[in-house]
Amino acid sequence: MSSTLQTLTRRTSLPNCQFLHPNAHHQIRHATLIKRPKRPYTFTQLVTLTDGSTYLHRTTSPLPVYKSTKDARNSPMWNPSSQKLLNIEEDEAGKLRNFRKKFGRGWDAEAVEYDQREGDAEAQTGEESSSRNDHDDSLLDLISGYGKAPEKKAAKKEPKKKSGPVANASAPKSATGGDQKK
Amino acid sequence: MALPSLRHPAQRSLRKQCHQCISQMNSPRYASTAAAPIDELEQSSFQAPELPSDEANQFDPVGKAKGRRKQLPPSRYQFRPPKYYRGPLAPYQPPPSSDPSSREFVPGPFSLPRMGETYKSTIAQDMMTLSYSHVIPGTPQPAAGQRLRTWDGDSPYFANRPLRAPKGGHVLRPLHKRITFRNVPRLEKITVHSMSTEAGSGDSAYLHVTGMVIQAITNVRVKTHEARTTVQQWGLKKGKYSSVTAEMKGEDMYHFLSKCVDLVMPRIKDWKGVKGSSGDETGNISFGLDPDVVALFPEIEVNYDMYPPKMIPGCHVTVHTTANSDKEARLLLTAFGLPFYGKLIN
Repeated sequence: MSSTLQTLTRRTSLPNCQFLHPNAHHQIRHATLIKRPKRPYTFTQLVTLTDGSTYLHRTTSPLPVYKSTKDARNSPMWNPSSQKLLNIEEDEAGKLRNFRKKFGRGWDAEAVEYDQREGDAEAQTGEESSSRNDHDDSLLDLISGYGKAPEKKAAKKEPKKKSGPVANASAPKSATGGDQKK
Repeated sequence: MALPSLRHPAQRSLRKQCHQCISQMNSPRYASTAAAPIDELEQSSFQAPELPSDEANQFDPVGKAKGRRKQLPPSRYQFRPPKYYRGPLAPYQPPPSSDPSSREFVPGPFSLPRMGETYKSTIAQDMMTLSYSHVIPGTPQPAAGQRLRTWDGDSPYFANRPLRAPKGGHVLRPLHKRITFRNVPRLEKITVHSMSTEAGSGDSAYLHVTGMVIQAITNVRVKTHEARTTVQQWGLKKGKYSSVTAEMKGEDMYHFLSKCVDLVMPRIKDWKGVKGSSGDETGNISFGLDPDVVALFPEIEVNYDMYPPKMIPGCHVTVHTTANSDKEARLLLTAFGLPFYGKLIN
């Protein structure tokens, strides 16, 4: 009696996973799947900072070269002692640029000074500077020593002309140096 | 050696030197009689006889490979690790994860991060110098007080009681050791965490976008986490997947921090820096990035249109350092270029 019961129970408890395919993907009690680690594809990217320094790093971005317009090299928070960065005007949206394009540079204080100096120089040197003046107006302030040579001459000839309040404040160093030498 | 064939006076002197060398080989050599023996010269390819030209012309590996009809057989035994771990007694054991044949193997590092190099070359030395405190050798160490106090008194109930917690709180803070060349604080890992309450309350799209964004930023596959408790105010339900973390170590960690410091943080508008009171008193400092700051990362910026703009998440960044106190950790992060503002609480 007992032996027949045993056989019966054995038959009923036969595991049917024996007949499964050996490569079937399922978790079994006595075996843990060793998962392959997943990691995103990364590219090597060259980062160019604003001061021209470059370095390579790995990113998920497919861009081979990243050129930054604003970073730690031209931000005043990272360069607190830099006088150049303190005076920089913030025009990220280009609003000031568009305004100047539309209404000219007459509204800027710097530009006013600049125009006055130009006017002085023109009075002395005549047509040469005016012909230079009209076509590359915006590029002139890129050249630091542009208006200085004619001004020196002007200072030597008529130092009284420099006595205007605006011109005095903005008198370039070379001109004052010339006066001291006299 | 063809010594007898030397005839010219210069050659004669050479012969003399050679004889000296040979005689010195038997006698002990002194530093004052420094003459380099010819026989002791290293063997180099310059001394080897030239290869005959016909033999050199016959060497043609490319032609040989092209002329081969069959492919070469693979190497004799290619090990394939088991897919399943079947316990310590199984005969077919998986190799350790550092083995290239292992299923868990992660290759790398692929680059030498600039910030890591800066740390090695300058920051570590600076940190050690700045936090140096001189102790005259031979000075006896001051006796350290009890960290966990014993119960003193004559009550019989004090016997076999567990020790008392430290004064002023129940948390045992780590001991502060003097900084030497062995334990200069360094970056350990960075954890980026982002939780979206919308995902916690049922909309899984937020969680997918969050995962994509964090993965793009950090170069690391993220882990998702369930909410541990229900919070009515945030719409969190217990057991729902609601947050995402990415843990970076080594190369990725340095790349992420330098990206933050050099490229992203300078572009944040009206940003004062990381709060000086941030930190958990044991050298781990965290800061938060808003959704519009996360959008400034170059990886997000390059295809910004890929992400639904309202779903771009903010995140919390925790920088784990091996420093024992926040003061040292802040010193380290300042050296890396992270600005702090406000009252610095150490």
